[in-house]
Amino acid sequence: MERGITEMADETLEIHEKQEVGPELTLEGPYFSPAVDIYGTETGLVLVADMPGVGADQVEIDLREDILSILGKVPSGGAEGQTVLTEYRTGNYFRTFRLTEDIDRSKITAAISDGVLKLTLPKSAKAIPRKIPITAG
Amino acid sequence: MLGWRIDRGPIWSEFDRLQRGVDELFTALTGYRKPTLEAPWRQARIFPLLNLKEIENSYVVTAEIPGMRTEDLEIKIEGDTLTLKGERKPHELNEGASYHRRERATGTFQRSLTLPTKIDSENVNATYKDGVLTVTLQKEKEALPKQIPVKTE
Repeated sequence: MERGITEMADETLEIHEKQEVGPELTLEGPYFSPAVDIYGTETGLVLVADMPGVGADQVEIDLREDILSILGKVPSGGAEGQTVLTEYRTGNYFRTFRLTEDIDRSKITAAISDGVLKLTLPKSAKAIPRKIPITAG
Repeated sequence: MLGWRIDRGPIWSEFDRLQRGVDELFTALTGYRKPTLEAPWRQARIFPLLNLKEIENSYVVTAEIPGMRTEDLEIKIEGDTLTLKGERKPHELNEGASYHRRERATGTFQRSLTLPTKIDSENVNATYKDGVLTVTLQKEKEALPKQIPVKTE
């Protein structure tokens, strides 16, 4: 069990190939589940998600109770020209995670560059391990 | 008809050989044959996936390669073949940090795409925005359609 963050849906993911997710969302077009790395440091967790085609003003991060959701909107490509080869499809990205108690909700930060979203989720102060100095008495 | 090929480096050929061996064994034991008409890019190792559009006298190739530094990306044109090469470097974790989940692919990649016509190699334009690489190639003059006027005598 991962501490700090767990994925809501139990799914097996394939790397590289974009996975389409359910149609229960309100925006039109297909949705894909972005590939995600999560790593933990002493002070918190970092979530890195591949969302190619998503610019800084097209990301929505939402935290409701324990559920963190990331939504990346990809403007639909121009209809210009004639398609010769299509190996990948484009669409929006959506994925949700469940946060555990030890994440400080108020200190979550996000940044996106070159289609990679990076979320920093610091642990709350009481969850950070501390060394207790022992004084010789 | 578009001709294109995939090059994914010599390491994989050994894995492919192993995969074929296992598939053959599986077929022999169970009688089930894996569908052979599966599109090659459905196999997960191919990276990056490419889309190709023809817009008048040019071709536009796009590839989703998020998190690249442009200096780690190499684009080459030889005749009618476009080659993309690069490396997606793994993020270096600090001491004490560890992965909980790792889905994003890292490593070197190479892909070649043979275009339907010859390309003007002097006139290639590549841009990288929000993790999407776009390469615009102009068809060579010889490959452009020509209108032949008919003279009356």
